[in-house]
Amino acid sequence: MSAIEFIDVKKQFKDGDTTIEALKTTNFKVEKGEFVAIIGPSGSGKSTFLTLAGGLQSPTEGQVKINGENFSEEKEKTRAKLRFKKIGFILQASNLIPFLSVENQLKLVDKISSKEQHLSKDKLFNQLGVSKLVKKYPEELSGGERQRVAIARALYNDPTIILADEPTASLDSERAFEVVEILAKESKEKNKAIIMVTHDIRLVQYCDRIIEIRDGLMVEKDAEKIKQKYAREEDNEN
Amino acid sequence: MFLAWNEIKHAKLRYSLVMGVMFLIAYLVFFLTGLAYGLAQDNRTAIDKWQADTILLSKEANSNLNMSMIARKELDNVDAKNKALLAQTPGVIVDNSSEDNEKIDVSFLGIEADSFLAPKIVEGKMFASNDEVVADSSVKEQYGIKIGDELSLSGNEKKLTVVGFTENAKFSVSPVLYTSINAFQEIRFEKEDTSENARINGIVIRGPLAAYPDDLEKISVGNFINDLPGYSAQVLTFGFMIGFLIVIAAIVIGIFVYVLTMQKQKIFGVMKAQGISSGYIAKSVIVQTFLLAFVGVVIGALTSILTSFLLPAAVPYQNNYLFLIGVSILMLLFAVSGALFSVRTIVKIDPLKAIG
Ligand SMILES: Nc1ncnc2c1ncn2[C@@H]1O[C@H](COP(=O)(O)OP(=O)(O)OP(=O)(O)O)[C@@H](O)[C@H]1O
Ligand SMILES: [Mg+2]
Repeated sequence: MSAIEFIDVKKQFKDGDTTIEALKTTNFKVEKGEFVAIIGPSGSGKSTFLTLAGGLQSPTEGQVKINGENFSEEKEKTRAKLRFKKIGFILQASNLIPFLSVENQLKLVDKISSKEQHLSKDKLFNQLGVSKLVKKYPEELSGGERQRVAIARALYNDPTIILADEPTASLDSERAFEVVEILAKESKEKNKAIIMVTHDIRLVQYCDRIIEIRDGLMVEKDAEKIKQKYAREEDNEN
Repeated sequence: MFLAWNEIKHAKLRYSLVMGVMFLIAYLVFFLTGLAYGLAQDNRTAIDKWQADTILLSKEANSNLNMSMIARKELDNVDAKNKALLAQTPGVIVDNSSEDNEKIDVSFLGIEADSFLAPKIVEGKMFASNDEVVADSSVKEQYGIKIGDELSLSGNEKKLTVVGFTENAKFSVSPVLYTSINAFQEIRFEKEDTSENARINGIVIRGPLAAYPDDLEKISVGNFINDLPGYSAQVLTFGFMIGFLIVIAAIVIGIFVYVLTMQKQKIFGVMKAQGISSGYIAKSVIVQTFLLAFVGVVIGALTSILTSFLLPAAVPYQNNYLFLIGVSILMLLFAVSGALFSVRTIVKIDPLKAIG
């Protein structure tokens, strides 16, 4: 059973008379334990793909399945529940709640699902280098710090699927590598399916698969080749 | 609760203001209710003190105590266990013991000192002669009249000495002075009339009334109060004012909660993207509204209780705990239904739009 499965999924947006095909008919699978990178130019449909996978919007045609469940055809209430339990979302824009302190962002998860076991907050904060910021509010954090807290929040309820839309966009390259390393470790150690949209081609070093989207069309790339290419470039730089 | 409380804590100023508005609205409603109730009470406390059920007036009086004229002897023709003579007349008194000779509008009630109409004395003693009166304590608080003070009557030679005070004795918004029936005759008709034909105004009955003369009309005390000159009009006017005020307050609170919810759409969208259910968000909005309204209403109620102590005695303001609790519950209900109205908006928030 795949973690995520797109069956003939298509997404169109109507804009007056014209129809934008944000995602052309797509068949696609991500297995548990896979770390998939999505690359492609701006406006190509990466965010559209990710939000479809996370059930934030419904496909125009086709089905999205999460762990075998027909996600895209469920009611919003059921989808919200699944999203909360199974999916960790790291959004392009900050997705923190402005009036909760860093530690309370995670405590909120405890409040909602008090029965379930969550990861250790301290450990997560340590890993992401935000343990000194637990009392602060999102408005008092830098963009990168906010991003890291968002990642901690996404990992906290130990979801089986992590969807990350440019999680490293506002981080320096050292932090960016660290963050991606954490994600890679999560996928390998805990058998999670992770999809990460990124503009930074160097980060694909940690990924198992690389998908390129162009004008709504998904193309699977030869991951090893790309990794080698960019690894070499980096070596050359040094 | 977690979200609701943390948000209030984070945006203290904003939520203090919201709470302030709730408080002001609640206080306004409570204050007006207190005034209305106080004024209504000032019409009737003397009557409520009787704890009577029925009053007999002469037929042509049209429920107007003052217009009713009955001969004393009629009391014997009334078949009831607890019956009492009642005479009433408005009057103006002057306190001879004070320097400024202020004139005071009062209402005289002529009663028999041993009947059940005799008021409970809180200070001094019951009148024993035709020259003594027991007064409502408001004349003490408002005009400084003391026991032993001699009062003279406007347009009358009669002098009366205050011998006792009773509480909560107002009739048609005037303090009541209790006198004997004979003193009443002197006040009203300027001469004593000890005969059995002496005119009084009504006969008050506590408990069952078996039979009464044909030329008398039987009126329940409730109806009698409603027919007091001006009473129904006052109660109705205030009732409508308070009713509309509560409706307007409900709408204002509803709009308030709605605007707050609209402002937080983006945040709710983020929560929804995280998979937090609309139900949980709605619940926290309702809890938050309840908290704000509750604190506002409680402070409003406390302030209105405090107000009743600070207002000068001349203001007919009186709190009734039943009304206070009733209005509080009503306001809380309105606030929460305002929040419920916003729940629709929350359910409809598209997480994608909110985060885009
Ligand atoms: N709600 C919408 N209504 C109309 N058009 C939309 C909507 N959302 C996305 N699009 C269009 O679909 C296309 C794909 O958008 P998408 O956000 O997926 O791009 P992206 O690959 O994530 O770009 P970026 O790298 O800049 O984030 C774009 O042309 C965009 O204008
Ligand atoms: Mg995007």
